[in-house]
Amino acid sequence: MNLKKGLWKILGPVIAAFVLVLAVLFFPQGFGNVSSKTEQRAAVSLSNNIFKGNKIKSQAIRHGYVPFIGSSELARMDPMHPSSLAMKYHRGYKPFLLGKPGTQSIVHFFAMQGMMSELRNRKLVFVVSPQWFTKQGQMPEAFDYYYSPLETIDWVIHANNTVANRYAAKRLLTMPSASSSAVMKSAVTNIAAGKPITKSQRFYLGMEEKLLGNEDGLFSRFVSGHRLDMIKNDQKQLPDKYNKSKLYQISSRLAAKDTDNNRFNIKNSFYNLRLRGRTVKNLKGAEASFNYTKSPEYSDLELMLNQFNRYHINVLFVIPPVNQKWAKYTGLSQKMYEKTDRKIVYQLHQQGFYHIADLTNDGGKKYFMEDTIHLGWNGWLKVDDSVDPFLTKKQAPYHYHIDNRFFSKKWQMSTKY
Amino acid sequence: MVNIQPYGTPEYFALIILFLLPIIIGLFNGRRFVNYETLFSLVFLVLTFGGSKWQQGVALIGYVIFEVITVGVYARYRAKQNNTAPFVWAVIIAIIPLVIVKVTPAIEGGKQSLIGFLGISYLTFKSVQMIMEMRDGSIKEFHPLAFIRFILFFPTISSGPIDRYRRFHKDYVQIPDKDRYLKMVDKAVFYIFQGFLYKFVLGYLFGKLLLPIVAHQAMLQRSAFFHTGLSLPLLGYMYTYSMYLFFDFAGYSLFAVAISYLMGIETPMNFNKPFASHNIKDFWNRWHMTLSFWFRDFIFMRFTFFIMKHRWIKNRIRVSQLAYLVNFLVMGFWHGVTWFYIVYGLFHAAAMIINDIWLRFKKKHKGIPHNRFTEGFAIFLTFNVICFSFLIFSGFLNTLWFK
Repeated sequence: MNLKKGLWKILGPVIAAFVLVLAVLFFPQGFGNVSSKTEQRAAVSLSNNIFKGNKIKSQAIRHGYVPFIGSSELARMDPMHPSSLAMKYHRGYKPFLLGKPGTQSIVHFFAMQGMMSELRNRKLVFVVSPQWFTKQGQMPEAFDYYYSPLETIDWVIHANNTVANRYAAKRLLTMPSASSSAVMKSAVTNIAAGKPITKSQRFYLGMEEKLLGNEDGLFSRFVSGHRLDMIKNDQKQLPDKYNKSKLYQISSRLAAKDTDNNRFNIKNSFYNLRLRGRTVKNLKGAEASFNYTKSPEYSDLELMLNQFNRYHINVLFVIPPVNQKWAKYTGLSQKMYEKTDRKIVYQLHQQGFYHIADLTNDGGKKYFMEDTIHLGWNGWLKVDDSVDPFLTKKQAPYHYHIDNRFFSKKWQMSTKY
Repeated sequence: MVNIQPYGTPEYFALIILFLLPIIIGLFNGRRFVNYETLFSLVFLVLTFGGSKWQQGVALIGYVIFEVITVGVYARYRAKQNNTAPFVWAVIIAIIPLVIVKVTPAIEGGKQSLIGFLGISYLTFKSVQMIMEMRDGSIKEFHPLAFIRFILFFPTISSGPIDRYRRFHKDYVQIPDKDRYLKMVDKAVFYIFQGFLYKFVLGYLFGKLLLPIVAHQAMLQRSAFFHTGLSLPLLGYMYTYSMYLFFDFAGYSLFAVAISYLMGIETPMNFNKPFASHNIKDFWNRWHMTLSFWFRDFIFMRFTFFIMKHRWIKNRIRVSQLAYLVNFLVMGFWHGVTWFYIVYGLFHAAAMIINDIWLRFKKKHKGIPHNRFTEGFAIFLTFNVICFSFLIFSGFLNTLWFK
């Protein structure tokens, strides 16, 4: 075999492959808009790819979707779930669900970066769970799981030297994800120290952002329609015309049928899977020492408020309760829970956030919770009482005044409010 | 100081190909630049065992000195005499570091031994192999430098494939001619891309994307089936983990073989369509081949001969059954001193013994049908037995039941 010809035969395809890959990954390409069907699937998919990506989130919001930010409760999809009601009754809004078990304020803060400009002067719903406000706050493992390099780079590149950004950088450095790339780590260290990032960091991260953006554009469109089908199927049980008392009737009937194997009014399948037997015995009195009143989460929440202020976003906060029967059993203190609620509400009121659906006292209402700490059935209907008017009616002008003291350790540990 | 793990990132491949270029050009021109190659190997060893992993680097240097002395002393002895006791001692001394490294986590509550480093098993396999073949008289001379070059051959240092000294040395000394080398480069390029597909596409898909999902689902079903956790998601975990294990390891092995080829060394392949095996014995001829052949040659065969020579057991069938048991128990312990690795070994020993019984039964009874369908069934059955053994191996049952 001729050496030159032989080498070409071997290396030609390799060179071609490299050229193609580099072209696809590093040249900015739009890959077009995704279809409205894909938007619809993505809005209720709760998929990690969608959550970490930017393309579909931003596009959907541009097309009128409203972010519903939260955590595990968003996955409690019975027929009364906000996405289901909005679709069935052709409300003027379409929820875009963002959040899964373990996504708390700091995860959302980074994951939202790319779509913030789309949200300017718009509305959103934010479900703040008191369960987030533990001594540790955001669990690093969960942060890692939901960490979006694309969105975080977006933040790094645009981060000015502000109290909020320095705080966010310091928090990020406590998470293992921050060390996943050396350049990222040194850039975030700069921000934490109040220094601008260097030119080479900017260049490198800019390249990486292009690459990740193209990846997002290519792959995030492959999103499962499984949850959308579920929601569409669920709607068959709803009355054709919106009728509140009828909805409560149906909701209670469905709930009664689905919570009859335990004394806590917890959904049967959840009880069987997660609690039945030894587990439930071990949990008796196990939460007596839980305390949500002192937590770094208060300052992480402040990061979100800071963003809402910067982009002048009108926010409805939902603060869910715990299942009262369950709380009694596990010994979770209702007094402590109320104190937590007061502290959150204080932080919101102080800075001009007044739209709050505070449900903390509703945990004892029948069929309000789907399981231990998650809203369901009648709980969702109660949420709808606030969500629907907030999103469909014109709201009074609002003005926030951010107070940086909420970023301090002192506030995190404070008991005066 | 940087630390780069072998075959981990695109940067590693860019770097290695760049540094390999002079060697490749040299080999095309029929020359091996020994000095450059040594320097190059050193650089990559430092990259692998330097930086944050410097303790491992120190352990590696200590280990190499230790093995050179052990093998060297035995070689000098063997040149004059050939008694059993010194041979046995040489083997025992050669495996002591590995035994310490493997036993430490079991007795120190998961803490890793200070003398451990990435790839110590594979270096030990090579050292023991030297001693055994010296004992047999098939290796007659001992050159410390050639020995070091063999055990530290960096493309295979972290996880094999396990080469044999005589084969390696022949390749090293005898440079392939232009046509042959071109074919090797061709294969190397193919293997690298096949490795990309295996490790970074399929291995990633199964290991990084799917495995956490099925693991989570299986954990949710802990109380299923009378608190045994036996559930459909667990079955899903079993298959997903098996796919991950194969594609990740086979991908890595392809890289190691490809880089060896580029250096003019025909390191043997490690996998040959293992999931198409017709029975468990067939499987061990296709899965992690260099390891199972090493175990076959240096444990199974040795043990069998030893028993037969001393006539401890007369029945040949019993001998081979016992040898399987020893062989796979040792392999289990080698993977690590935990219940699931040991059970994994016992499981495979049992499977081999049952397989042998079946094959003998089949030979005696000529009426048993043999056609496409029975073959298909055999492959299906073998595949599931293997996947089940990997579920044991994965340690997931340990998490599911005891954590």
